[in-house]
Amino acid sequence: MKRKIAAVAAIAATLLGAAACGSNSDEDAPTTSASGKVDGTGKTLKVWLMVDAQSAWKNVVDDASKRFTDATGATVNVEYQQWANHLTKLDATLAGSDVPDVVELGNTEFPKYVFSGAFGAVNPADYENSDSWLQGLKGACDFEGKTYCVPYYAGARVLIYRTDLLKKVGAEAPKSYDEFLATAEKVQNAEKANSKFGAVYMPGQYWYAAMSWVKSTGGDIAKQEGDKWVGQLSQPQSIEGLQRWVDMVKKYSKADPTKNENDQANTFAQGTAAMFYGNAWEQGAAEETKKDPNNPDSPLVPTKVKGKLAAAPMPEVPSFLGGSNLGITEKSQQKELAAQWIKAFTDSTSMAGLVKANALPNATALLDKAAADNKTIAPAALAAKNSWFPPNAEKWADVEKGAVLQTMLTDVLTGKKSVADGAKWADDQINTTLNES
Amino acid sequence: MSVVDSPATRRPRDPGGPRQNRVPGHVAPRRRKRNSGLVPWALAVPALVLIAALLGYPLVRMLVLSFQNMRLRELISGRTPPWVGFDQYTRVLTDEVFWAVVGRTVAFTVVSVLISVIGGLSIALLMRRVTRGVRLFMVIAMMFVWALPQLVAAQIFRWMTDSDFGVVNYLIDKLPGVNYQNHSWFVNPWQGWSVITALVVWAGIPFLAITLNAGLTQVPKELLEAATVDGATPWQSLRNIILPILKPLITIVTTLSVIWNFGLFTQAWVLRDGHPEPQFQTLATYSYTQAFGQARYSLGSAIAVITVLLMLGVMIFYIRQMFRIGEVD
Repeated sequence: MKRKIAAVAAIAATLLGAAACGSNSDEDAPTTSASGKVDGTGKTLKVWLMVDAQSAWKNVVDDASKRFTDATGATVNVEYQQWANHLTKLDATLAGSDVPDVVELGNTEFPKYVFSGAFGAVNPADYENSDSWLQGLKGACDFEGKTYCVPYYAGARVLIYRTDLLKKVGAEAPKSYDEFLATAEKVQNAEKANSKFGAVYMPGQYWYAAMSWVKSTGGDIAKQEGDKWVGQLSQPQSIEGLQRWVDMVKKYSKADPTKNENDQANTFAQGTAAMFYGNAWEQGAAEETKKDPNNPDSPLVPTKVKGKLAAAPMPEVPSFLGGSNLGITEKSQQKELAAQWIKAFTDSTSMAGLVKANALPNATALLDKAAADNKTIAPAALAAKNSWFPPNAEKWADVEKGAVLQTMLTDVLTGKKSVADGAKWADDQINTTLNES
Repeated sequence: MSVVDSPATRRPRDPGGPRQNRVPGHVAPRRRKRNSGLVPWALAVPALVLIAALLGYPLVRMLVLSFQNMRLRELISGRTPPWVGFDQYTRVLTDEVFWAVVGRTVAFTVVSVLISVIGGLSIALLMRRVTRGVRLFMVIAMMFVWALPQLVAAQIFRWMTDSDFGVVNYLIDKLPGVNYQNHSWFVNPWQGWSVITALVVWAGIPFLAITLNAGLTQVPKELLEAATVDGATPWQSLRNIILPILKPLITIVTTLSVIWNFGLFTQAWVLRDGHPEPQFQTLATYSYTQAFGQARYSLGSAIAVITVLLMLGVMIFYIRQMFRIGEVD
């Protein structure tokens, strides 16, 4: 029996060794240039975009790809990914050799991959508007003095509200946080008869919102001290913001404390809340919904709240700047072509298309024009100027995946932990995760 | 289904004898016996190769991995991860979160298996008493439940218990004096686990009931009739006749249920929308979150190895139990 095990181990070791010999280049790969002409005749570029591009601005993708094909002769194969499982899928794919050339990831997801060597360096100067790229997006691309991805689009969160319900109580878009609370109080009282109604729809695990409130009182999630990251949630200013959020949610929200914000537009569309905190495009998602959610081409049908919504910046609360970047995979065999496609997809023409589809452009230089061109995203464009983003730490994605903040928020909202205990617990988890070797 | 054989049919077959499958009445020629050492092996080679490739290799890889420290960087670059010895195991075994997960998984397994087996047996007994038509209906209904993929069933339960749109809240809310609108079933872990257990038991009962029903057909009617004539109550008949005869079968289905429920993943994962909170983590989801969610592939492997070892303990206990039952009778 022992000999058998030894034999198996020997075979395994051989196989492992063989696998390890496959590729071991650790030297700095050269920066991929996007300038000049590239002949890609007969080649196909594989691009992974997130599903938002398919549902909201497929025309921009198609247009950029067409211009790319005209210029290089190469064709483009775009595969749309789901947020729920795209990282697991990406990990498995990157472990192999048949990898996508261009990959979109959320800005908070990028640092981990940049650090792990998944993406090749790019030359920012090759891309339009790169001198004013939104810091919240670009920060995730920076590593050891090089840039490893290209900002794609942003989303800032705003207050989306029911104009009819606010009008009924004589309120308008709140100008201050106190006014926001007062409006919530009035609407809540006016709709008392409906026991399902909560003035604000705020799911308990919506950590982007909760952390925005933390930022509103000068708090922070974590900061770097020397080589180490130190959780900041149990600092007095953070506690104050967290408490402010918790008080508001407990009083005005009937949302499930164990849900996150993924489905909030649909839930809000049922008409049982007056306000919610969401991305600009979620206003549209709440007003109209696809007849067949599985078919991107299916017609839109109006919901109960169609034509009754408006957006405004959430007063006194800085917005989380979400968004996506595009990277060229290190294993890609056609990096130059990939760079050309990204260049076309992030130029001013494409950005104008994104603005039409209610997304924010990737550069501050474009924000004012976006606000002027598209009234729907004007509040978000304004909010983006006062925005924050999570710690740019290599392991931040693990904190998100570990559901640290989400768990803490549910525990605090349901009274399982006090705000102080919850914050302390989250700090411990964040310290362990971010500083793990 | 030799397990269903009642002890009565097995007895004349010389229980203490050697374990080889002798074909009764067959006289083996001497010549054959000489190369019988090689031929079975040769015949088994294809199967062994398949098992080695499909089970052995991944198992060895997992073992090796659990002694290394493989993170995303190593996965992407293909470099050999650094060897860290028993570090991953030390980390797992000294982590109180892990032990909480183990305790929870074991508790869930015990409770869910108990309910499923008792429920399955009750339904099987009921099936013996109803008319043929009703029995047929029960079998078909259960077949449908059985045929439903776990993922679909879990998704349906998720919708039913949804706090905003769920039909369960809607119905409970209809009761006078109860306000169950927007009630979240997963705030309180006891309630959350009740939902998960209900789903697992609901999906597990058809197999148990149908199998045990098949087993019940093997209980000799004469025995039950004789017992009734001698004045035995139905309860006594169940305890002293039916259960002893069914025991080997119950042991088997219980073992299977333990294995299935111990590896609970899909139900908890879907009901928690792909992000189970700490109080809803089981060994399987915990290992998955560690390995694939947070790219701690080696740590996840170590957890998986420990899970296998834990299961092995259970398996050995049950297999021994099974043999013992066979021998005693």
